[in-house]
Amino acid sequence: MFKNHLKIAWRSLKKQPFFTFLNTFGLAIGMAGALLIALYINDELSYDKMFADADRIYRINADVKFGGLPEQLGESPEPMAETLMRDYPQVELAIRIRDQGSVLIRKANVTSNVKELNSAFVDSTFFKMFGLAFLDGDVTTALTEPNTLVLTRTAAEKHFGVNNAVGQEMVLNNLGTFRVTGVMEDMPKNSLLRDHTVFISMPSFQFAQIGHWGSLNYYTFVKMVPTADMAAFQEGLDSLLGRYLIPWIQDYYPGMTEASFRASGNFINYSAMPLTDIHLQSNMKTELSANGSLQNIYILSFVAIFLVVLAVVNFMNLSTAYSLKRAKEVGVRKTLGSDKSDLVRQFLTESGFICFLSLLLAVGVAFLVLPLFNDLADKAISIPFQNPMFWAILIGATLVVGVLSGTYPAFFMSRFIPVKVLKGSGLSDVGGSKVRNSLVVFQFAISILLIVATVVVYQQLNFIQSKELGYDKAQILVLEDINNANGQEQSLKREVLRLGQVQSATLSSFLPTPSARTGQTFFKEGANNQEDAINMENWRVDHDYLSTLGLELIAGRDFDVRIPTDSSAVIINEATLKTLNVSAENAIGLRISSDLGASEEDITYQTIIGVVRNFHYDSMRKNIEALCLGIGRFPGSLAIKMGTQEVTATVSAIEGIWNTIAPGQPFNYYFLDDSFNDSYDAEQRLGQIFSVFTVLSILIACLGLFGLATFNAQRRTKEIGIRKVLGASISQISYRLTTDFLKMVGWAIVISLPIGWYAMDKWLQDFSYRIEVQWWMLLLAAFLAIAIAVLTVGYQSIRAAVVNPVKSLRAE
Amino acid sequence: MLLQLKNIFKWVNSGGQRIFLLKDINLQVEEGEFISVMGPSGSGKSTLLNVIGMLDTFDEGEYHFLDESVHTLKEKHRSNLYKEYIGFVFQSYHLLDDLKVYENLEMPLLYKKFKGSERRAMVADMLDRFNIVGKKDLFPAQLSGGQQQLVGVARALIANPKLILADEPTGNLNSQQSEEIMQLFKRLNEEDGVTIIQVTHSEKNAAYGSRVINLLDGRMV
Repeated sequence: MFKNHLKIAWRSLKKQPFFTFLNTFGLAIGMAGALLIALYINDELSYDKMFADADRIYRINADVKFGGLPEQLGESPEPMAETLMRDYPQVELAIRIRDQGSVLIRKANVTSNVKELNSAFVDSTFFKMFGLAFLDGDVTTALTEPNTLVLTRTAAEKHFGVNNAVGQEMVLNNLGTFRVTGVMEDMPKNSLLRDHTVFISMPSFQFAQIGHWGSLNYYTFVKMVPTADMAAFQEGLDSLLGRYLIPWIQDYYPGMTEASFRASGNFINYSAMPLTDIHLQSNMKTELSANGSLQNIYILSFVAIFLVVLAVVNFMNLSTAYSLKRAKEVGVRKTLGSDKSDLVRQFLTESGFICFLSLLLAVGVAFLVLPLFNDLADKAISIPFQNPMFWAILIGATLVVGVLSGTYPAFFMSRFIPVKVLKGSGLSDVGGSKVRNSLVVFQFAISILLIVATVVVYQQLNFIQSKELGYDKAQILVLEDINNANGQEQSLKREVLRLGQVQSATLSSFLPTPSARTGQTFFKEGANNQEDAINMENWRVDHDYLSTLGLELIAGRDFDVRIPTDSSAVIINEATLKTLNVSAENAIGLRISSDLGASEEDITYQTIIGVVRNFHYDSMRKNIEALCLGIGRFPGSLAIKMGTQEVTATVSAIEGIWNTIAPGQPFNYYFLDDSFNDSYDAEQRLGQIFSVFTVLSILIACLGLFGLATFNAQRRTKEIGIRKVLGASISQISYRLTTDFLKMVGWAIVISLPIGWYAMDKWLQDFSYRIEVQWWMLLLAAFLAIAIAVLTVGYQSIRAAVVNPVKSLRAE
Repeated sequence: MLLQLKNIFKWVNSGGQRIFLLKDINLQVEEGEFISVMGPSGSGKSTLLNVIGMLDTFDEGEYHFLDESVHTLKEKHRSNLYKEYIGFVFQSYHLLDDLKVYENLEMPLLYKKFKGSERRAMVADMLDRFNIVGKKDLFPAQLSGGQQQLVGVARALIANPKLILADEPTGNLNSQQSEEIMQLFKRLNEEDGVTIIQVTHSEKNAAYGSRVINLLDGRMV
């Protein structure tokens, strides 16, 4: 019987190639989209799970308010790891990672540096913590001594090759000589240390053993014993404040107790976060590497479910519509003795068959577009063809889709009554049009929702990118790592300024793009208490900073090289005025200091000489906070404002100057507006992903609508013929056929616009600086939906309307 | 006695009025009869045939088939009953276009759960008996109307029904093809003892039968 079902399925599909194509293709698109999203989510969920004992590893987070604004950090104080190991038997191992960012590294006997983007000081038990094996060297002793380091395979290959690295000498940051004591495999791509290539022994770091509980600079990871009670451990973490931190603070603030600490609104709450939660759930001010977002996972899951549901709905719709053609078959089968259940099984076999065809097609499509998708999502996902689990899940999911999409049509068709469907030529209405119409409404509602989302996301992106930033990011080239210039930063700047196209240049480590910066605690002269402390970013710049970046002064003056006292002057931003509670005019001349808690004679004050208009230095998700600029030495980069002409020539001229001043050192530069754009990468990607899947969902909905329109025109051939004989014009008939569908789109618009407006308004709340959802965005979505529907249905309607009525009536 | 209809009424309500499709039908059919039902369009011929074939219900009256009271049976039992004893032949043949001749013949057997070997034997026998062995791998669309109806009759017969119900079996055929089908019916009736009830417009075809029932506005006249 099953064989017979399969045979019938195959033949009836072959006989209606158009219908089969619409159904298979629609399902395949939905499945391929969902498959890609599933792979993406699977990858996001896999982060850090590959480490041995990953389920027992936790990171100690700190929720801190100590003067200033509350902060959430993934880092803890230096003595944390040691203390936890010593005081808590349920801690099997605790290690520290002190992130070091980029380093310049070279073999001892060469002069040109290579830049490694991510490095860290780690305890020698770091490898044991994460179960990392070495390719060469001794994993237990590798980082026990000062001035030793371990390279990953990729880093080692740049200099020596994997097998020759151990025992070699390397110079780090032109500061010291280090011995390579091990080479390890590259960190997995889906781990939080994926970008780290150089691990330096903790004893090499001079501040690693000072027992300082007040600053939080070390990522502390603990591995718990398998039986550990995490609730009890959390209590232990809560007691650290009283036992260690307060005694330490008392050295600086004699007489401070835990109670008085808390009374002034301060807190430090430590907590243990599972390693495997970090990627999706941790959103700290600093992280070892950029994390994903749980929100995006949710959004994408919804999109995937939408896609499959759309495709399933399509399938149901087309199948029931086309079942007219099968009505006779059902009738005959019933008179020949078929049960309802037999027919249900037969139609389910057919839908299962189509689903598997679609599955094959979907896997093929997914395979082909995977490179594009990886590009879009910034991933390196591959389809795990060799994994039996993958196939099992895929086939299981396909069966579910098959049953979901086939059940309604199967029961629908098996209900046909033989006496009715065998009468005449068999073509009459089969009913169920209400269900079909509601399904079309549903499909369009989802498509319109996605259009609204896409429009709003793009508008917001556009808004961010074109918003008045308060500084001029155009044509600014940033030359990095100028601390390699052997102290000749000033002459570098002078030389660069002599180039014709260069308008100005400034030496600074701070630029107004989102990056990891921490605030510093300040207080106003005469208000030297904990409670009055204000937290603000403290940027070290030079005298040309304001002019190069086009910052606008609203009060006071710029730094002036001719006024020596300006070296201890600061310029604040507008937001600081609010924190200090003064007007711009009154702020000039005020003195502030960061020497909190010191005795009066030890305090160094800085005088406010100017106020700049607020400028966006961080993501638009965040409000502009207090900030002060002061003159500093040790700049990290040179920002160069250029004209719009001869950009390439100017860049190579700058490179020439660099190579003369710092021979052999890497010439790293970027343009400020690129960096700015990069910081909205996540939104950009979200926007792109939205638009891709919006197009897909519209495509699926169109396939369905097209199928229905075709069917509808066929069904109404007789009606159209009669109308024409009675004098209806072609345009009247096509109008009639089209408006039926437009009514459904109208309903979809009525349903989806309020939902879309509400949902996108919620999404926008994430941004401190945002657009409002405007009526025209909703209108645009509605208009697009109508236009798409008219285009899809119009062709079929006109085609049906021009048929000669003699022909259509005879056929009846 | 094969079946008996007693005071059968069937009606539909239209615009507050009751329109009778069948009115007080009393009919007794013995095994081995060949009955022709005649009457003008809309007189209720097909309705009567559908009621006899249990494809359609009636509103009043009694229907006995063999020893069963059809009017008291549930849908499931009714369908089991006609599945076992009744074969249908249609004016427009109603062969399944997607199935070959062989498969069309096999289908009723599939529903009656015959084994593969039995099915093969029975289909081969039928092909042989109707002289259509050469056509077994063709699709219905590749056959002439007469040949299609031949397959239709063969399909109705294959599971050895006691009763064949034929609704204008020659309505779509030319006179020569008509003749052949009617001869076939006659032979089946006389030689194999199959009971046949046919609906027809043609006096000539009606003459093949042993009894003629005339209907007018749902009433036997």
